[in-house]
Order: sequence, then structure tokens, then C-alpha cells
Amino acid sequence: MQHSRRIPVSVCLALLMMSAACNRGGADNTGTPSNTALRVTDVTLGRAVGGDKAITDRTETFRANDTIYASVATEGAASSATLRARWTFEDGQVVDESTQKIAPNNRERTEFHISKPNGWPAGKYKLEVFLDERSAETKNFDVRAN
Amino acid sequence: MGIFDKLGGKKEEKPRADFSNVQSGSSTTAPEPSAPAPTPDPGPPVGTSGQDQTYTVVAGDSLSKIAKRYYGDANQWRRIHEANRDQITNPDLIHPGQRLKIPGSEGA
Repeated sequence: MQHSRRIPVSVCLALLMMSAACNRGGADNTGTPSNTALRVTDVTLGRAVGGDKAITDRTETFRANDTIYASVATEGAASSATLRARWTFEDGQVVDESTQKIAPNNRERTEFHISKPNGWPAGKYKLEVFLDERSAETKNFDVRAN
Repeated sequence: MGIFDKLGGKKEEKPRADFSNVQSGSSTTAPEPSAPAPTPDPGPPVGTSGQDQTYTVVAGDSLSKIAKRYYGDANQWRRIHEANRDQITNPDLIHPGQRLKIPGSEGA
């Protein structure tokens, strides 16, 4: 009998806690997911991209006549941000540098590509991706002679 | 250079690669930032009635805030949510740059 008195109290407590947790949801919550910090979540390399800017032919070893694509995945929102891709050769030469301004909503993808009509010199290359001038990710890749 | 060659100090150096004709480009699924950051227009006075309007979301907005601004009542957020079902799946998630339809305050 004593036990039967204690159980309802604990059940009530649990119910109270659950109800408090439920009340915290809903759109009245003025928290703004739009302020979620923007970050680079992934960088992939390949020979082609799809309409969604994701790599469709993934590789990190290219041939001299390939167009080299990098797909940069970002997550988070910002009213304005800048992605920059800096491609360098093994001797430190900057091969190319390009930027793309974005106002991402949540998950987005941005592709950068480079090509060289008379073919890439064989060797090791590096891609460094910057988000708002801060280095976000680095990828190494090779070009082999055709 | 000649001396080095004669002394045998340095063998033929790899010619510096030429990247002068590299072509590049980029594209994105993300919207591009509009020229100046979207600023909330001064906003219609609370209680404005009549036609639907459009509002561009800025950082820090929520449906409740927008409802408060347009209808003077944060609880009216559902009306904005309903009017924008096509682009708002989660009413807690709206994003800067989104253009929301603000239904006219019927009967107000």
C-alpha cells in the first residue's frame, strides 16, 4: 500500500517534466536558425559535376587534359559570404584563384573548376578553400601525363 | 648559371610550369547575395490591412517576429506559415533572403 502512494508522485513528476519540455517547441521560439554559423563541411574533387554541383566523377588523380572540378559543401546560413579556391602547383606557383559570393540558406554546394587548353603539367597540386578569408579545407591531387 | 653547370653543382632544372592560360569558373546552388544586404523595409504600420505583401527575411527574423511586426500579434505567425507552405517546411527555420508572402490582415 505504501508503494502505491509513491508511484503516482513519481509519475506526476515525470509528466510535469515532459510537459515543460513540450512547451519549449513551436514557432514562438524566437531562436533564429538563420544565424547558424556557416561552415565548409566537405570538399570533393572530380572530373564532372551535376546540376546540384556535386561531383559525379570523383577522383584525385587527373589526366593532363581534364577539367578539374572541386565541389564545396557548406552548411549554415549567411546573408553574404565568400568562398575562395586557390589552386597551387607543387613548386608553390599559384595556378588559379577564384571566388564565389554566396548567401546560403542551409545546405548548399559551390563548384570551382579549372582547365588548361594545352594540358596540365604532371605533378602534385593542392587546392585550398577559404571561407571568408579563413582557410577551411585543403585537398591534394595529382596530374599524370596522358 | 654557367658556373653552376661547369662545376656540376646543379643538373638541368625542371622548367617552370606555365599556368598563364588556365581557365577557371565557379557556380553555386546558393543564392547570391543581393547588392546591399536586404534591409527590412520600415514595415507597414501594425494593423495594415488589405493586399498581400512581400517581406524579405533578414538575419534574426522569426515568423513570430514578422507576425508581430505586420499584425501586432506574434501568435499570427501561422498565417504567414500557411501562406508560405511552399517554401517553409519548418516554421522554426527561415533564412535571410527568403521572400515571404504576408497575407493582408483580413477584417482588421
